[in-house]
Amino acid sequence: MKNSEFLKLSALELVEGYKKGDFTVSDVIETALEHIEVNERNLNALITPLYEEARSRSWMLDAALARGEELGSLFGVPVVVKDNITVDGVRTTCGSRMLENWISPYSAHVVECLERAGAVIIGKANMDEFAMGSSTEFSAFGPALNPWDLSRVPGGSSGGSAASVVAGYAPIALGSDTGGSIRQPAAFCGVYGLKPTYGLVSRFGLIAFASSLDQIGPFARSLKDVAAILQVISEPDARDATCARKERPNYAEFLNVTSLEGFKVGYLAGYESLEIDDEIKRAISQTIEICKEAGAEIVEVDLPISTRYGLPCYYTIAPAEASSNLARFDGVQYGFSVAADDLKELYLKSRGSGFGPEVKRRILIGTFVLGSSRYDAYYLQAQKVRQLIIREFNAAFSKADVLLTPATPTLPFKRGEKLTDPVKAYMADLFTIPVNLAGLPALSMRASMSQSGLPVGVQLIGKKFGEGDILKAASVIEQVVGPAATALGGDRK
Amino acid sequence: MNEFIPVIGLEIHVQLSTKSKMFCSCSTDYIGARPNSHVCPICLGLPGSLPVINERAIMYAVRMALAMRCKVNTHTVFHRKHYFYPDLPKAYQISQYDLPLAVDGHLEVNDDEKAHKIRIQRLHLEEDAGKLVHAAIGGRLMGADYSLVDYNRSGVPLMEIVTQPDITSPKQAREFVSRLRQLVRYLGVSDGDMESGSLRVDANISIMEPGGKWGEKVEVKNMNSLKALERALEYEYERQKEVKSKGETIVRETRHWDDDSGKTVSSRSKEEAEDYRYFPDPDLPSLVVDERTIVQLCKELPELPWEIRDRFISDYGLSLEEAEVLTERRDVALLMDDLVKGGSPVKVASNWIRTEIMRVLNERAISAEEITIPSDEMALLLSRIDRGDLSTTAAKEVFAMMLEKSLNVDDAIKALGLSTGKLTGSDLEAIVVKVLSENAEVVEEIKAGNDKKGKKVKFLQGIVMRETKGQADPKEVQSLIMSKI
Ligand SMILES: [Zn+2]
Repeated sequence: MKNSEFLKLSALELVEGYKKGDFTVSDVIETALEHIEVNERNLNALITPLYEEARSRSWMLDAALARGEELGSLFGVPVVVKDNITVDGVRTTCGSRMLENWISPYSAHVVECLERAGAVIIGKANMDEFAMGSSTEFSAFGPALNPWDLSRVPGGSSGGSAASVVAGYAPIALGSDTGGSIRQPAAFCGVYGLKPTYGLVSRFGLIAFASSLDQIGPFARSLKDVAAILQVISEPDARDATCARKERPNYAEFLNVTSLEGFKVGYLAGYESLEIDDEIKRAISQTIEICKEAGAEIVEVDLPISTRYGLPCYYTIAPAEASSNLARFDGVQYGFSVAADDLKELYLKSRGSGFGPEVKRRILIGTFVLGSSRYDAYYLQAQKVRQLIIREFNAAFSKADVLLTPATPTLPFKRGEKLTDPVKAYMADLFTIPVNLAGLPALSMRASMSQSGLPVGVQLIGKKFGEGDILKAASVIEQVVGPAATALGGDRK
Repeated sequence: MNEFIPVIGLEIHVQLSTKSKMFCSCSTDYIGARPNSHVCPICLGLPGSLPVINERAIMYAVRMALAMRCKVNTHTVFHRKHYFYPDLPKAYQISQYDLPLAVDGHLEVNDDEKAHKIRIQRLHLEEDAGKLVHAAIGGRLMGADYSLVDYNRSGVPLMEIVTQPDITSPKQAREFVSRLRQLVRYLGVSDGDMESGSLRVDANISIMEPGGKWGEKVEVKNMNSLKALERALEYEYERQKEVKSKGETIVRETRHWDDDSGKTVSSRSKEEAEDYRYFPDPDLPSLVVDERTIVQLCKELPELPWEIRDRFISDYGLSLEEAEVLTERRDVALLMDDLVKGGSPVKVASNWIRTEIMRVLNERAISAEEITIPSDEMALLLSRIDRGDLSTTAAKEVFAMMLEKSLNVDDAIKALGLSTGKLTGSDLEAIVVKVLSENAEVVEEIKAGNDKKGKKVKFLQGIVMRETKGQADPKEVQSLIMSKI
C-alpha cells in the first residue's frame, strides 16, 4: 500500500491495519502530518497542528502495539479536534484573539475519552470565533477553505473540522453544534456530521457558546466511523450536570440493516415552496426514493412554528447565553488583556479589542435581551416559543421515526458572499436551528454531487436519544450513494 | 417620646461548613492556606468548565430552613447574576433569584424578656467570590499600585438569609444575629464566625415617622462583629433622625461602617443600581428536593436551642437567664442533660457548668464533648459540693485532676492529699492557732485597731484556707480567727 493511501482509509480500517501489522501508527501519523504541512498553506483548516505531540504519541502507541497490549477502539487513529475543546497543555483559542495564547490546564471529557480509546490528536481545527458564524470566515486566524472548491467556504463554525476530514488530514474529527455548526459544514464538505441529542455527550471542556444548545459531535467519511467515535465520546460524565446518565446503546448495531420495512420517514410538507437550491430539492426527492425502495413508509410532517419562529427564537436565546458565557473574558485572569489605568478601562479595552465583530454583535444582542426591563418580552418569550417547537417536533415524531430535511438552503457559498449581511448568513441555519432548540439528534450527510461538482447534503433528524434510528436510515442511504470521498481542491484553484 | 422608630431588615450570608465547594470538589478549608492553592478549572471559571451542585450544601440549607420553619420549595432554580469584578472569575455569580430554596419562616428573639418573631423572607444558596488583596498600606484600595486576587474562597457555598423589616432596635438586630449564629452552630452547618467572615451581615435601616410613614432605606455594610452591628445601627439611627430633624431628606444609599471612627460613610448611591441580567443557569437543571427528603431532614433535626431552653425551665426549674446561658452552645446543653441524668443536683450542675466548665472550655478552646469524665463521677463530685463536703476551691482542683489524669473522684482527692471530709472543729482550730502565731505582728496590728476595713483579717483567712487546701468553711475560719484574737 502506498503511504498516501493511508489518508483515504477510514478509522476502523486503520485500526484493522494496525492489528494485522500492515502498517504502524507512526507510518500513518507521519504521512498525515506531512500531508497537513503541505496542504495547510491552502486550506487553513487548522489553527494549531500538533506535530510534536502526535509524533511522540505515535511512537508510544507503536510500542504498545509491539508489546501486544489490548488496543482501544480508535487505536492509532488521527483525530482533529475543534479549537473550542480543551486539550491539556495545548492552546485552545476558540478562533479568537481573546484566547490566542491560552493554554488549557485540563482536557475536555471527550478528549479524555478519545485518548483512552487510543486516538491521536493531530491538530486543533479552525473555526468561527467562539463558534459564531457559518463560514469559518470569522476566525481570528484567517478563513478555512472548502477542499472541493477553494473559492468557497467550508461552512461553519466547525469548518476546519469538516475540511480536515474531507481533505484526508484525519478520518474523523470533533466539532460542536449550537445551531448547525456541525451539520452545515458537513453538508458543505460532503462528509457525515452528527449533532447528538442534547445531553448525550458531556460538554465538560467545551468552551461554551450557548450552554442549552451546545453539543459536541463527530465528523467522519463513513457511518461506521460515526458510530465508533460516537460510542467513545458519549460515555456518561458526572462533571456535566446536563449529561444523561442512561446507558448508551451499541451504535454499530444500527448499521446492520438493508431494509427499512416498518420504518417511517417523514418529510417537510411544502418544502418545495421554500427558498432552497434546486439541486438540494432534487437530492431530497432522490433520498425519499431510496428510503421508499428500502421499504420505508414515507409520511408528510408539518413544522410551521419551527420554520417560521425558529430563527428569531434562536437569535434571542443563543446570544443571551453567549453574552453570559463570554463575560468571563475580561482580561483579568487569563487571555487577551490590554494595560489600562483603571478597572473599567481594562474591561473596555480588553473586550473591545480581544473580540471580533460577530462576537461583539451577539454579546450586544444578548446583553440587550437579558436586561431586566426586556427579559420578559425577549428571553422569556423566546423560551415559550422554544417549548412550542419542542411540542411540534413531538407531534411530528408521533408520525415518523426520522425526519428528512435539507441540511442547508444553499450549496457552499463563495468566500465573502455573506459577510456583509448577517441576517442573510443567519438564514443558512434555517433547517438546523430548530433541532438544537428541541435538543434532538440530527445527522447531515452527502446525498449527491451537484453538476458543478459540489457536495449536496441532506439532514436526518431523530427523536431524543434516537441516534440509532438516524444511523439505520443513513445506513440504507449510504449503501446507495456510497461513503464520503476525500477531496483536495488544490488543482481547482 | 420616641417619635422615630427604626425599621431594620437584615441580609445575612453564612458560609456553609461543607467539605467541598458549592460547585466543585475543592476543599473549603482555605483559612491560612497559600493563595490560589484551593482552586480548580471550575472555581477559577476557566473556559469549558461546568458546575455540579454540592448536595450536602443543599442538605445543610434545607436543615436551616426547616429549623426556621420556612417553606422549602421542592423545585428551585439557580440563576446567573452578572457583574464585572476581578474577584468574580466567571463575571457572574451562580445564585438564586425568583425560585429560592426556601421562603416564609421566622426566628424568635428575646428582647426585654419578651419574645419577638422576626419573619424570614427567604433563604437561598449561592457561591462566594474570591478575595482581592490590595498592594497598599493596610490593604486598602485607595492608592494601591496593584491588586492581587486569591480565588481560594471562590465557590465556597454561601447561604443567604433575608429577614422582613421586623426588627425594631439595634439591640434586637444584635440579638437576632446572635440567635441565628447559635442556630447554625447547633445544626452544624457553619462555624458562624463573624470575625473571619463565615457570617456576614448587611443591614437595611430606615426610620418610621409617628404617622407611620417610612423613610428611605439605607444599606449598611462592613460590620465584623455583633458589637459593630449594634453600634453601626445605633449610629445610623441617630444620623437619620438628625437628617430628618433638620428637615432634610434621607438619601437611599449604601453606607460603610468604619469601626475605628465609629461612623458610617456613604459608599455608593443606589440610583445607579446595576442590572444583574438574571437568567436561569443553563448548566444546572432545576433542582428537585423531594418531599421525602424534606420529611427525613425534618425528622433528623436536633432539639433546637429554644426548645432545650424551655425544657430546662419547665423540667429543671431554672431561670430564663440560666437556661439561656446553658443552651448558648449545644455541647454545653447536652452536658447539662448528661450531668442531671447522671444524678447531679440541678442547681449545682447549672452553677458548675456556667462557671468552672465554661472557664475550662474557653481556656482550652475545647468542646464539652471532650470532657470525658463519666457523668456519674461528675454527679459524685457535684453532690459533695452540694453537701458542703468539698469547698468550691477544692472541687476545682479535684475536677482539674480528674480531667488531667482521668481519675475518679476519690482517687483525685487522694492524689491531691485532701481528706475526703470537711476540715472543722479542733483540727481546724489547730491550724488557725498555728497561722496566728506565725503572723504575730499582723495579729498585734488588728488588736491595736488598725484593721478598719477588715483587710488584715481577710489576709489571715486566706492563709488558713490555703493551709487547709480549701477544705474548710471560710465563714467558720473567719469566726475562729476573730475569737482567737
Ligand atoms: Zn474548585
